[in-house]
Amino acid sequence: MIQANHQLDAKGLACPMPIVKTKKAITDLVEGQVLEVQATDKGSKADLAAWANTVGHQYLGTVEEGDVLYHYIRKGSNEPEVEKSFEHTVPLEAIESRKGLILDVREAAEYAFGHIEGAKSIPMGELESRLEELDKEKEIYVICRTGKRSDLAAQLLTKNGFSKVYNVLPGMTEWDGKITKDI
Amino acid sequence: MSNKVAIIAANGGMFDAYKVFNIATAAAASEKEVEIFFTFEGLNLIHKQGMHALEMPAGKEHFAEGFEKANVPSIPQLVEMAQELGVKFIACQMTMDVMGLTKEDFVDGIEVGGAVTFLEYAKDAAPTLTF
Repeated sequence: MIQANHQLDAKGLACPMPIVKTKKAITDLVEGQVLEVQATDKGSKADLAAWANTVGHQYLGTVEEGDVLYHYIRKGSNEPEVEKSFEHTVPLEAIESRKGLILDVREAAEYAFGHIEGAKSIPMGELESRLEELDKEKEIYVICRTGKRSDLAAQLLTKNGFSKVYNVLPGMTEWDGKITKDI
Repeated sequence: MSNKVAIIAANGGMFDAYKVFNIATAAAASEKEVEIFFTFEGLNLIHKQGMHALEMPAGKEHFAEGFEKANVPSIPQLVEMAQELGVKFIACQMTMDVMGLTKEDFVDGIEVGGAVTFLEYAKDAAPTLTF
């Protein structure tokens, strides 16, 4: 099952109800959180993707299980408004030829719908409490969607004694290599 | 890009009602400003009693079962939802005069206006739809 911050049950509802319910439900989330919408309306897949695009959320993808469609939407597609300040960066193209760990700090659902093979997932919000999973001796290449969350993550790692940390730019939005999915 | 959707509801059957209110609620849920101008038979769709007894087109009555099976919300439910989402209803004054109807015959929260009221709103709306 893909991890989400909130679940919305819109099963059995016809158009336009899944959209109307989703609009209401997403107001309870904070920016960056992920909403799971459960629906049986077959049209909801195209509708929710279009809706998210119109309103400014990030449609991550849909998983079908039997008659139920599980849609995943991340609230607000805008990354935090901060200047990237972490100095050690590597271009995305270089990442495959490097040794070390690729650390993907996007939300678990974003990771599930497509990540670089072998990348480890620790969402930005969990990073501080999961530092012991990482090896300080190894190079760590931090990646997210557009390079902003990974910038913050790289700073956090450095502050905690990791010295071989690099921010991968621009991020998964520009990645055209192989994609692994966990769905 | 315009953030306004303007809809003219000029027909009073059940299918017409679904076309109008589905598009209207979907647009409102997509954070559009939505106004519907109800004129002639379209007034049926917001008439307190009329909206509970909208007819299917002749020969299409068998779709009633399909509506039930698809769990489609009722028209009064859609009307309420549309208003909750901020869709503005304008009833056509001229038609009301012709049909001898007053504001009290319609669901609460509507406005009454003339053609110019709607045209003023619709002049920079995209899309403008007629049902």
